[in-house]
Amino acid sequence: MDRKVVVPGDLLSEEAKRSGEGTYVKNGGVYSLLYGLANFRDKINVIPLAGKYIPGPGDNVIGVVKDITFSNWIVDINSPYDGLLHISEFPIRIESDEMSKYLRIGSSIMTRVADVDPTMKVELTLNDKKLGQIKAGQVIEISHTRVPRLIGKGGSMISMLKKEVNCNIFVGQNGRIWIHGGTEDMDLALKTITLIEKEAHTNGLTDRIVGFLKKEKGARS
Amino acid sequence: MDETDISFFKDGLRLDGRRADQLRPVKIEVGVLARADGSCYIEMGGNKVIAAVYGPREVHPRHLQEATRAIVRYRYNMASFSVEDRKRPGPDRRSQELSKVSREALEPVILTSFFPRSVIDVFIEVLQADAGTRTAGINAAAVALADAGIPMKSMISSCAAGKVADTIILDPMKEEDNFGQADLPIAMTPSGDITLLQMDGDLTRDEFQRAVEMAMKGAKDIYELQRGALVKKYSQMVEQPVREDVHVCD
Amino acid sequence: MSVTNVISEIKKDFIYNLLLKGERIDGRTFDQYREISIQRDVIRKAEGSALVKMGSSQVLVGVKMQPGEPFPDTPNKGVIITNAELVPLASPSFEPGPPNEVGIELARVVDRGVRESKAVDLEKLCIVPGKQVWIIFIDVHILDDCGNILDAASLGAIAALLSTKVPAARFGLGEDYVLPIRDIPIATTAIEFNDVLMFDPGVDEEAIANTRLTIISTAQGNICGSQKSGAGMLKPEQIYRIIDIACEKAREIREKFLEA
Repeated sequence: MDRKVVVPGDLLSEEAKRSGEGTYVKNGGVYSLLYGLANFRDKINVIPLAGKYIPGPGDNVIGVVKDITFSNWIVDINSPYDGLLHISEFPIRIESDEMSKYLRIGSSIMTRVADVDPTMKVELTLNDKKLGQIKAGQVIEISHTRVPRLIGKGGSMISMLKKEVNCNIFVGQNGRIWIHGGTEDMDLALKTITLIEKEAHTNGLTDRIVGFLKKEKGARS
Repeated sequence: MDETDISFFKDGLRLDGRRADQLRPVKIEVGVLARADGSCYIEMGGNKVIAAVYGPREVHPRHLQEATRAIVRYRYNMASFSVEDRKRPGPDRRSQELSKVSREALEPVILTSFFPRSVIDVFIEVLQADAGTRTAGINAAAVALADAGIPMKSMISSCAAGKVADTIILDPMKEEDNFGQADLPIAMTPSGDITLLQMDGDLTRDEFQRAVEMAMKGAKDIYELQRGALVKKYSQMVEQPVREDVHVCD
Repeated sequence: MSVTNVISEIKKDFIYNLLLKGERIDGRTFDQYREISIQRDVIRKAEGSALVKMGSSQVLVGVKMQPGEPFPDTPNKGVIITNAELVPLASPSFEPGPPNEVGIELARVVDRGVRESKAVDLEKLCIVPGKQVWIIFIDVHILDDCGNILDAASLGAIAALLSTKVPAARFGLGEDYVLPIRDIPIATTAIEFNDVLMFDPGVDEEAIANTRLTIISTAQGNICGSQKSGAGMLKPEQIYRIIDIACEKAREIREKFLEA
């Protein structure tokens, strides 16, 4: 058995070195910290079934500017922690009093988490060609716990989706996803993502999505 | 009606037909609220209690936040219609004390250091009261915390013992609580670390120990029920891929 | 309307785009109510009670009764006191504390429906004229705010009253008896957004709307209460349109759930 539903405090193993994410070690034993699915591989990880999005360095996220200070945009990233976009992380050099000209309160951005410090100060960056302000297309919000399923093993699900709906898609680890393409294509993409979110926990999802896309595209033409 | 009018035992059974060491029937439902991050509805005897967890989330007002860990807040509240004589809405001294000790029953196992500068809010609403609302609240809260994905070293389970007619009993019901000789609620981890202990009444030191032992056994049984309810909720869970380290974007 | 329910710009745009296409987020038509369920007598200790689910919204209403003094200006009439607790358990935007203006408004609108429809004959609640009457407490306890808790609360109140037993025996005033109810007021609420009217708003729809209109109608199809809420404006034609649909919806709900 390589997967099991566990609750906080469940003893998972007597081998302390197998302690992975979502577990802790006490008296040489590995215990679960979470209510979730325990994965028994070399390391034992427990994936929670719920929880807030906690930013980690390297995460792509979609944020909404909620405030502007002297040198930072304060960005809502759908987390207990706001992201800080420092003026120096803006792709072009601008002055402090120009900040709201470029990104005002309410602007949406595709950004990346550059760093997170021990007090959970989250620093964002826009210094990358693939990042920037969202000016067109649509953004959908799903539960961040479904994002791994949307991406799929090695990116298989998201690559397939991009190809089939012929859209640009930016997946934020915080559950926000940007889609850009023709109107009908975007509609289909939104519908498909909603379906994936709803059925993320079930078996055979990839095949069902492939079938769904075929049917919808067939109905169109 | 005073305690001399009630005969607490009849043919070795209590007023509601239970043996001295028997729990009232328990029903636990996980994830009953849509807005809350985690929730649990529990019935213990005639008690109907619902718990909701919000968090970790931003602390307001900001000055309450702690730089290195989450703060935990617990609010126990009784609905006006939950008791025989309608209760005025709002906290009273009893509910404030209950809130404090209940929070302190759960805090020891919550990994607050994972979430600096945030708050984990636990809200308990007693919809119907029948002696033992605080223990029901803590039991529901622990399940709601797990349901919300809050990391904990272990679950917490709570149960009370009492004394009536010079006999130590488990999980007092209303008449036993009102007219009995002692009431002793506890909360603990499944391995027996005590996180809540209160008592009022009159017990010898030997009786105190026996009451604690009986309450601990009751709490252990409740732990099995809490665990069972959580596992049952997702017993059909199958394919759930692990989080990828590859970040895909275009 | 959830007063501080902050909705992200992203969600706002998403709903708005759907509206432009004539769609709602959950696929309902504009005058369609979510699935409703009512369970009565859920709280034994209360004289009457009802748990109403409207979609994912959940509201519990308890009715308690006890003898008390009448108001000086109505010495022979019973008293109805309606209170609503928007407890923090029900929504991330509810804060602990006494009811704020949103909670107070909700309680008063629920009360209006019961009182103005004369569903309860207050004169029948007189025990000793001028000295003792029955006090009815209607306590609304919001459990899960997923939108339109006002309609759910109002429905819960009348459902709880319909199952209320007067606790006469406990106070030495004879045998318990069923509280006689003469009408079944039903509140139906619509929001207005960009000239689109939507009934039974979900929580995200409430957050984008400026204006809300609640119509409380009786079994005869008359209107016994109304409340416009929110900082927007309505034209008379919109109001009449809302009333037409509201009374029809109220009739459907009344027939389906509350007529014996």
